Amino acid sequence: MISTAPTTAKPRSRRLTARTGLALAAAALAAGCAQVPHPSPNDPWESYNRSMYRFNDAVDRAVLKPIATGYETVTPRPVRTCIHNIFGNLGDVWSAINSLLQGRGRDFVDTFGRVLFNTTAGLGGCIDIASMHGARKIPNDLGMTLGVWGFGSGPYVVLPFLGSSTVRDGSAWAISLASPVSPTSAVFAIDNVPVRNSMFGLYVVDTRANLLEADRLVDQIALDKYSFIRDAYLQRRKSMLDSRLNSSRASTADDLDNPDRPQADQNLPVYEDPDEAPAQ
Amino acid sequence: MSLSSFLYILRRAGALCLLGAALGLSAAPAGAAERTVDPKAAPNDFLEAVANNMLDAVKADPQALQGDAGHIADLVRRYALPYVDMDKTTRLAAGRYWRQASGAQKTALVQAFTGTLIRTYSGAFTRVTSGTTISLLPFRGDPQADDAVVRTTISQPNSPAIGVDYRLERTDAGWKVYDLNVEGIWLIQNYRNQFASEINKGGIDGLISALNAKK
Repeated sequence: MISTAPTTAKPRSRRLTARTGLALAAAALAAGCAQVPHPSPNDPWESYNRSMYRFNDAVDRAVLKPIATGYETVTPRPVRTCIHNIFGNLGDVWSAINSLLQGRGRDFVDTFGRVLFNTTAGLGGCIDIASMHGARKIPNDLGMTLGVWGFGSGPYVVLPFLGSSTVRDGSAWAISLASPVSPTSAVFAIDNVPVRNSMFGLYVVDTRANLLEADRLVDQIALDKYSFIRDAYLQRRKSMLDSRLNSSRASTADDLDNPDRPQADQNLPVYEDPDEAPAQ
Repeated sequence: MSLSSFLYILRRAGALCLLGAALGLSAAPAGAAERTVDPKAAPNDFLEAVANNMLDAVKADPQALQGDAGHIADLVRRYALPYVDMDKTTRLAAGRYWRQASGAQKTALVQAFTGTLIRTYSGAFTRVTSGTTISLLPFRGDPQADDAVVRTTISQPNSPAIGVDYRLERTDAGWKVYDLNVEGIWLIQNYRNQFASEINKGGIDGLISALNAKK
């Protein structure tokens, strides 16, 4: 009878966390039902998104950012770089698979070569020795793959804890969580629970610490952080997709020598110059 | 993996690292001579000189190498800003609202946005080390055109390269940079919504004070 006590206590505490989470999300939603002053066509759910952004920002300020800042302070840069590169090497496996799914054979071979080289000569991914030898990192993910396959991005959405995404990229993220080879799956495959949890924690802290500099910069230059981050995210994802749709191997520098590649300015933004007379 | 093969790889990697360090050191421009910038040269040659002068200046300044924002900003003002057409950058970011602004407001807006641009560009140089290099990708536009894009990558030892592109316009005085792209994100494009929503909230003056409040 005594042995049942811990088992009953556990679901209750889990239910409690779930309830707290729901309450927080509801509060975030309720706070967000305000009018949107400057609506953007890419962001029809702006009022929900803004409240989720505020929720994420509050969590970040309270938990993630202090931990990441502490990590940055106490850990020497070479160690941080090593840890970041090891996770990056796991991420390269996922990038390579997605290059293959997109029919980008040379990207696949290059990225797979990076993984082999970095895992061996780079000591398990600690040293990004491939980059030093000119084999550029070619980031790729399932959201890009779905885009190449013809799925539209759908509206912009801010996911709880994860931040900027779109309907397509968010769904892709959920699918890749379940796949056996995504960057995080190597961590989730660890059987020893404390080790797995510590590795996952380290992954989160590493990811956040790597964003500290960008975060400081955005603080200094954005007039409205929410829309600045949104526009930057959408622009970057669009440019990544354009580069995949317009060339067989746009991400590597030597491809730019390829005469078949379309003119560079094909995807340049077109700005209307208010000082010039409108074209007749 | 056996211990001996592990040690072998370790030794090989050690040798590679030493080689890399040696190459990095020999390439480091200990007080390298400033390149002469010719705005009337080909876009790539013009930009290569500007970007490398800026990079060398950061490398030669110990405080800038530590990431001191004030020092980097001073170097940006000296080495990069003379080749930027801030009027055009600001005008394009403001779009149709530009015509609503008075002459004095236009001047104040350009000045305020210049501060933002300096902070943005300085941000790209806070992680420079002695091993940082800038390389230019082959120019792919029409050399006779009045609008050109120059693509560069900034490489750091032991981390992925960053793509930085510059958009240039041919003026009477030669090439001038008016837009900047970091990893797929164009600066003007990203400020169009920022400008529009501030102007809707507080007019042109509201935008100017919002820009100046960021320091």
